[in-house]
Amino acid sequence: MSIAIIGIAEVPTLRDPERTRWDILLDVCMAAVRDAGIDKDDVHAVISPNPMAQPDMANDMALGKVPEVLGMKGCRDIAIANAGGTSNTNCLRLAKSLIDGGQADFVLIPHTTVQSDIPPADLINFFATAPLDKQWEYPYGVTFNGSMGLITNRYMHETGATAEQMAAVTVSLRAWGALDPNSIFYSKPVTLEQVLDSRVVSTPLHAKECNLLADGGGAMLVTSAEIAKEFDKAVYELGHGTRFMSATPFMRKDLFHRKAYREGSADALKQAGLSIHDMDVRQIYGAYPYTQCSALEGYGVCEEGQGAALWADGRCGPGGDLPCTTMGDATGRGHTGSGVSMAFYLETVRQLRGEAGERQVENCEHALLTTSGGSVMNACTTIFGRSPK
Amino acid sequence: MSTQENTDYIKPLPVIQPHSQAFWDATQNGKFLIQHCIDCDSNIFYPRRDCPECWSNKLDWIEASGKGEVYSFSITYEGVEEKFVADLPIVLAWVDLPEGPRVNTNIINCDPEDVFIGMQVEVVYVKATDEITIPYFQPVKR
Repeated sequence: MSIAIIGIAEVPTLRDPERTRWDILLDVCMAAVRDAGIDKDDVHAVISPNPMAQPDMANDMALGKVPEVLGMKGCRDIAIANAGGTSNTNCLRLAKSLIDGGQADFVLIPHTTVQSDIPPADLINFFATAPLDKQWEYPYGVTFNGSMGLITNRYMHETGATAEQMAAVTVSLRAWGALDPNSIFYSKPVTLEQVLDSRVVSTPLHAKECNLLADGGGAMLVTSAEIAKEFDKAVYELGHGTRFMSATPFMRKDLFHRKAYREGSADALKQAGLSIHDMDVRQIYGAYPYTQCSALEGYGVCEEGQGAALWADGRCGPGGDLPCTTMGDATGRGHTGSGVSMAFYLETVRQLRGEAGERQVENCEHALLTTSGGSVMNACTTIFGRSPK
Repeated sequence: MSTQENTDYIKPLPVIQPHSQAFWDATQNGKFLIQHCIDCDSNIFYPRRDCPECWSNKLDWIEASGKGEVYSFSITYEGVEEKFVADLPIVLAWVDLPEGPRVNTNIINCDPEDVFIGMQVEVVYVKATDEITIPYFQPVKR
């Protein structure tokens, strides 16, 4: 049994406190249902990613306000999933479970996040404490950027990747974002010099290699692969594989996640009956540039230690022969909390539908997408295709 | 091994668990303890209630040498909470102990620019409160 995505919607990523969480939520829910072309009363379940750092909104979504406010009379149940950046992955897995079990034909997965109205000190506290060990990390001043700086430094030490090669990843991600009307960096590319000249936040990471917290939202409408055959714009899930590493980065044996990328993608590709070389686009949600390199090494696209060179040679950016992460990742698009992975799924659907505008990968038939949550605790890889298995 | 005094400590204190209390008792006496599983012989860090390798509850403590090697580090210049600002730049580091475990720490008592992967370091203790002494690492003095 398998699922397909038949409706998508998204609002542009911005920092605009005037645009409320509920406005975003209602807009994306209605637009995704209309994009699918079904009736609102045909939505049997609403499964939401937990809106991080927004406890009131989290309560509203966890306790059933969405189908009530939208008058979804056919709704049979709701659920919320919190796995950081992999929350949307869990939503899709829950949707699949309901669909395969016969409890639902159509499942709506909506996300909303507004961070621009949260005081910066509160956001720093949230992102410093939520993923960190309160005994072994927090007392030492660890931050998200610091954790990822520690991993990136070791990655560069082991692979010999240079600061210029690492900065080239951000240049390519921003180049994708510059072509995306839903990116906060739409029409705002950066040069290698601008990345390297930006402030050093946590060595070796510069400010432009870190994430800008932003507001955004999106929604997906999911159904079974069987029902989806009646929908022209359906995009099919062909395989899924996942590996957990560790909650805490310093406990991690697979520090660059290569093994998790390799084994999870191998499981997913096997189910799909495809090889990594059949993929027309690789979408990597790691939120920090080293993941864009080590993922390619893990998938077997290149040898270990060669990922940064692929980006530096421009092969993964717009016009390259190995297009990757066409929505720019959090670095090239703005970080919308648990919404970044939503944006990854939506972009993958657009690419497979041929609706990705200036970012469109030619003849895009198959896509690989990996999401990660927490301090890269896991790597969840899904293969999507334009046609069912 | 020395212990430095630190009055008016404002940074967050470690949230201690029943099974980690012995670790924090020992740091007050200048000792860095690692858990040891009597059943499967594993050296364990951070402390657990049960051995993560074999789930035995027969856990003992061994005293580490206090020496280590920098596995990775990141000099943090910004983006920390207000209570850490006075310490900037902070050298976040992961240090590999010869006993096996890797620990998260800060490298202190040196110029951040002098820290490198592979640097030999040793534990140094900073008394935060009357109850809590926090272990950090500093370059081995020649």
